[in-house]
Amino acid sequence: MSLRMKFLSMIACVALFAVLPTQADESAKLATIMEAALDIMYQDAYKDYTSVQRQDAVRAIVEDKYDLEVLIRRAMARNWSLLTADEQMQVHNLIDQLIVKSFVEGMAGQGRPIVDCGAVIEVTSKRIEVPVVISFPSGKTFNVLYRLGLLKTGWQIYDIVAEDISMVSNYRQQFDDHFREENGARLIEKLEKLLKKEVLDVSTIIL
Amino acid sequence: MYQRSYYKRLFLQYCAYGLTLCVSLSTGLAEDDYLTEEQLYGDFAEEPTLVPDPLESVNRLTFKFNDFIYMNVVKHIAKGYQQVTPDPVERGASNFFKNLGYPVRLVGNLLQARIKGAWLETERFAVNTTLGVVGVLPAANRFERLQPLQSEDMGQAFGAWGIGEGPYLVLPLLGPSNMRDLFGLVGDRAVNPLKDSYSVIGDSNVQTAFSATEFAVKSPTVMRIYSQMKTGAVDPYSSMKNGYSQKRRSMIEE
Repeated sequence: MSLRMKFLSMIACVALFAVLPTQADESAKLATIMEAALDIMYQDAYKDYTSVQRQDAVRAIVEDKYDLEVLIRRAMARNWSLLTADEQMQVHNLIDQLIVKSFVEGMAGQGRPIVDCGAVIEVTSKRIEVPVVISFPSGKTFNVLYRLGLLKTGWQIYDIVAEDISMVSNYRQQFDDHFREENGARLIEKLEKLLKKEVLDVSTIIL
Repeated sequence: MYQRSYYKRLFLQYCAYGLTLCVSLSTGLAEDDYLTEEQLYGDFAEEPTLVPDPLESVNRLTFKFNDFIYMNVVKHIAKGYQQVTPDPVERGASNFFKNLGYPVRLVGNLLQARIKGAWLETERFAVNTTLGVVGVLPAANRFERLQPLQSEDMGQAFGAWGIGEGPYLVLPLLGPSNMRDLFGLVGDRAVNPLKDSYSVIGDSNVQTAFSATEFAVKSPTVMRIYSQMKTGAVDPYSSMKNGYSQKRRSMIEE
């Protein structure tokens, strides 16, 4: 009987910890996702993929674990309420595609980097940071800080700070400048145009 | 009879355990444990994004001009330079020009009363210039005590003194800046013995060749940063403005 109780206690504890999102796992989770995304870019199995196929595959990996809406809404900030529900959905989808497209086309032509995710830094009980060092074969290294917040859906990325430049703040500036003179429909036009456009032809410049 | 009471007790124990688990879970996942909408999306004041830009219309024109030059001239110089230069030579040239920036870093440190930083820069310069063959090899990096510091300049020193950024500026060819950093740039050139107008290089042809080489060596880095800020930007001008300001503010804070 006592053994049975011990077993039950163990099950209960495991269940409890499985449900409660733990901070320590976030660094490993982030590393796994980054490596999986890099596999799409560099592994032979995906060498015949077109850029669009790579983008779809990377998006599937990221969206399986993280909700990019958090990043997008934070970047839109007060401007989010200026959009209609339909525009919000369109903007969400377009920015989502833009983020992934920038990543995929930005990595094209570069050697596979080594990603080193550091230990989780607890900012508050609801906010953590994961420092990541990305080292390219050319010797260039980039420091990126992933900021995560605890939501009902688990730990979600709410900002990415690359080399001291916050992605949310950077996009927020762009949206603030846009909405000073233009509207949501025009933003959607710009985003669609940007997605159709070929990416800046600098990929041959090795990092 | 004994068997029935055993199962009854066991059933009750399972129920009690289930109840405890539910209570634990509900306590563990209370509303207060999550970020609220307000906490997540309402912190506009926390990250000031507004960069004073009263000269926006002129700046945007200069930005367009610079963009044309970067994409049609600098990009090709950068590509050409990388194609004809073996990687070790490229790194060596980059190290050489970085080492020559010592006077600017020294003054930047001194103006912020960072004596330790000024001394470390001096030691690094001495080691790189001698053991590193006029700065081509980063010999100082081999010594744990002489690891590179964050680069300092006069604009940063002015910022550390509490002088405001002033309006955002886009300088022709040089790119993003602000009023404070423009004054800093003038100061940096004044203390740099290899730049006009106090250059120790007497011959103007040599000075031009030196400046052109330095430009070619730095062009891949310039294009890399430029492309990173521009790629995926809804408004490249705003992206550059914000990126530059965030970076400078962070350098001053450090």
